[in-house]
Amino acid sequence: MSDAPRSGGAKGRFVTTTVEVEGRTEQRVVELPAFEPEPWGVDARLTHVGARATRTDGALKATGHPGYTTDVRRANQAYAAIVRAIVPRGRITALDLSAARAFPGVLDVLVAADVPARTRLFGAEITYTGQPIAAVCATTQEIADAAARLVHAAVESLPFAVTVEQALEGGAVRPKIENNLVGGKPIVLERGDVAAALAAAEVTITREVRTPCVLHSAMEPHCAVAEWDGDRLTVWESTQGIYRVRDNVAKALGIPLTDVRVICEAMGGGFGAKNYAGAHTYIAAIFARRLGRAVACVVDRTGEQIDTGNRPSSWQRITLGATRDGRLTAIDLEARIPIGIGGFEGGPGAIYHELYACPNVRTRETSAFVNTAAMAAFRAPGHAEGSVGLEIAMNALALELGIDPLALRMRNIAMRDQKKDRPYTGNRLAECYEEGARRIGWHGREASKAAAGPRGEHLKRGYGVAAQVWSTGGGPPCYCNIRFNNDGTADVMAGSQDLGTGTRTILAQVAAEALGHRLDGVRAVIGDTASAPFAGNSWGSMTVASLAPAVRMAAEDARRSLLEAAAGLLGVAPTDLETRDGRVTVRDTDRSMTFGEVTAKLGNVMIQGQGSRGPNPQDAGIVTTGAQFAEVEVDTETGVVRVLRVVAVHDAGRIVNPTLAESQLEGGIIQGLGFALFEERRLDARSGLPLNVGLHEYKVPTHADMPVIDGHFLDGADPKANHVGVRGIAEPAIIPTAPAIAGAVADALGVEVNELPMTPWRVLAALRGD
Amino acid sequence: MNLSINGRAVAADVAGATTLLELLRDTLALTGTKRACDIGECGACTVLVDGRPIYACLTLAHACEGQAIRTIEGLGAPGAPHALQEAFVAEDAAQCGFCTPGQLMAAAALLAANADPSDAEVIAALSGNLCRCGTYPKIVRAVRRAAATLRSSADV
Repeated sequence: MSDAPRSGGAKGRFVTTTVEVEGRTEQRVVELPAFEPEPWGVDARLTHVGARATRTDGALKATGHPGYTTDVRRANQAYAAIVRAIVPRGRITALDLSAARAFPGVLDVLVAADVPARTRLFGAEITYTGQPIAAVCATTQEIADAAARLVHAAVESLPFAVTVEQALEGGAVRPKIENNLVGGKPIVLERGDVAAALAAAEVTITREVRTPCVLHSAMEPHCAVAEWDGDRLTVWESTQGIYRVRDNVAKALGIPLTDVRVICEAMGGGFGAKNYAGAHTYIAAIFARRLGRAVACVVDRTGEQIDTGNRPSSWQRITLGATRDGRLTAIDLEARIPIGIGGFEGGPGAIYHELYACPNVRTRETSAFVNTAAMAAFRAPGHAEGSVGLEIAMNALALELGIDPLALRMRNIAMRDQKKDRPYTGNRLAECYEEGARRIGWHGREASKAAAGPRGEHLKRGYGVAAQVWSTGGGPPCYCNIRFNNDGTADVMAGSQDLGTGTRTILAQVAAEALGHRLDGVRAVIGDTASAPFAGNSWGSMTVASLAPAVRMAAEDARRSLLEAAAGLLGVAPTDLETRDGRVTVRDTDRSMTFGEVTAKLGNVMIQGQGSRGPNPQDAGIVTTGAQFAEVEVDTETGVVRVLRVVAVHDAGRIVNPTLAESQLEGGIIQGLGFALFEERRLDARSGLPLNVGLHEYKVPTHADMPVIDGHFLDGADPKANHVGVRGIAEPAIIPTAPAIAGAVADALGVEVNELPMTPWRVLAALRGD
Repeated sequence: MNLSINGRAVAADVAGATTLLELLRDTLALTGTKRACDIGECGACTVLVDGRPIYACLTLAHACEGQAIRTIEGLGAPGAPHALQEAFVAEDAAQCGFCTPGQLMAAAALLAANADPSDAEVIAALSGNLCRCGTYPKIVRAVRRAAATLRSSADV
């Protein structure tokens, strides 16, 4: 941020500032809050914030929560199915819909001519396998699915590219992009002089690392239910951003925003793939309008796996330069990333500029469009891939120097935000390393290996460590309204949504804290654009850091009104009053009223509060850092890697709910374990077809693959970041897991496996020296 | 066809190709049982047929003629939860919650057969149930916690 004035200055309420959004810089208008509460400092005595409250929707989820989009059952609801392309590139020369239309129970069929151009649905050009080419709507899902298989497309196949190499050789991806490169050329970022630093380095090492294309694989597929009432459209959507879906739908259909309402009561996982409206949304809305009835469009599992986003694969060549005593002097990355037919440049390079202190860093990323489904942000996009390359290279450097891998990392901690040349609001990575090392027994690991004993010569044990950094400051715009009901309960309304992270619970805890209420006296009302003001997408580990300050401010505002009302009723000044457990008490007396007694006296005079999120400080970077340690056992006969233990210690500022935070940390580690060992979308380079499209062939971790996980957050708070003292945790959790496991495998075997996932086949190949 | 669902006799007119999952969710509006893959790959639709855990998406409704089906709605409700459901809440064993009903029904089948399962036995019994949020460790803890609760209440 270039400018973060507080209210009361001469600049007025609306100011233009520079904000950083996932590594990109944008000019934005920011509204300064009417007031900002004093920060809750490290030593603040808090009741609800920091408590291990159970999830407010836990009982619903344990009893078959009916609020998911796939569960929406409107009167007379019809069902849609999507017809998809089965070649990576081609031209549709004829589309025969007659058999589908004639199928009993079929209500309607959509092709390109039936839809607004802005939906970008269908079209004669096929640019990837899985691309929607038509849709069928029927009275039941089974009929729609069966009829979709009767749509016959005659397709003229065209040359395609599914690898970066094919794209660079001029393989035709889509006609409009001349050289197939994202941004038209490789993206080079350099600070210092890497060539000179490498030439002068006392030690250099180089490694080549590959990471796989992995799929989000949320349990609830992408889905929407659309229903029109005259010109007004309601969309139920499994989404990470109700407001963004509303924007997308209104623009695509050319209707006013006020006519679109988006609801997401419960949703079955997103991980970055559910940030926008999609083909399924537009198909449901268009069918619903044409048919005059509610229409559900649920993407089937095959469609989910091939066409709803992915983390693109990467090839990385890393060269490190260092002094003999282990100080990094140069970091150089060359990377190639096939991003699919669309998406954004979110490559592995960014973490190379941030994680370690180093004056000379250069990253050169070649991101190419290819004829596969578009990528989508997937939990720490770029950083999760980049950390694998960087950390494998750090381990190689430690070996070369004869320095312990942990000691090498401790020697190179970045205590400043090197990208912006400013300090961090806080960074306790050194403590994370130390605490993690203690918990895993890092310094006694050779003895542990020996003590693990003679289970067989073929079983090798190893230990690895890796670290993470991720911007987690959140920011504006983001709003919250609080209203008291006249029984003293309070509704906390924000245009957010709960992916399963616990947003509902967290907002209730923050509001209860600031109001002085009981937790069960407060309810978070989220997931409905009709009932709450704007909040951003649940992405970028931003939700709590963005929303919690707005909720706290709204609660302080409502509390102030409540105290004024109570003061009149009790015949004292508002400043004589305090609130706790849903009760207003005259300080140092036993005179008190419950919130319900106060609001009942007010009748329908409504106590309300408004809160908004102010800008972040401009003079410091806000990051979550952490270290993870892995202990593995590798069977050198079968090549099977078993992760025995993962220890994770992160510095994420104040933790609003340790139980929920640990759940998310475990979730990130388990997804990281899948990335390390099992998950890989395989493409046949000759036909361009995805080979493993289901959850049998595409392996996500199961119960049987679990290590012991010891996840821990450092106690503390970051009052410089925002007045609640919070930062984000979702993405930091996944970043170090795979490289820590890779380090442990190399430690166990004495040879590196530098291509993920570390399948038995790759482990055995590495052992053979292939 | 006739069958019993959560202790109630149900008579339904069902097409031959209809799966048990379609009967439950689409005909009877019992949406607590989730459809995540519909091809037997994830376990989200696990229900009990005469006490055995099965994938409802791979089971034809007609194959359940005369049998007793138990779904998540029959395990317990928010106001009257089963010990397993209480334990899942207490241990935070659900994040997004979409796989949770299937995990719970697989666990219910386990506890009916084994009142004191080890971690390894819980893991083996639930390994056909995928979770993408990564709640596995807490699910295992929750199942063992529920088992202990049920054993102690059986002792009384």
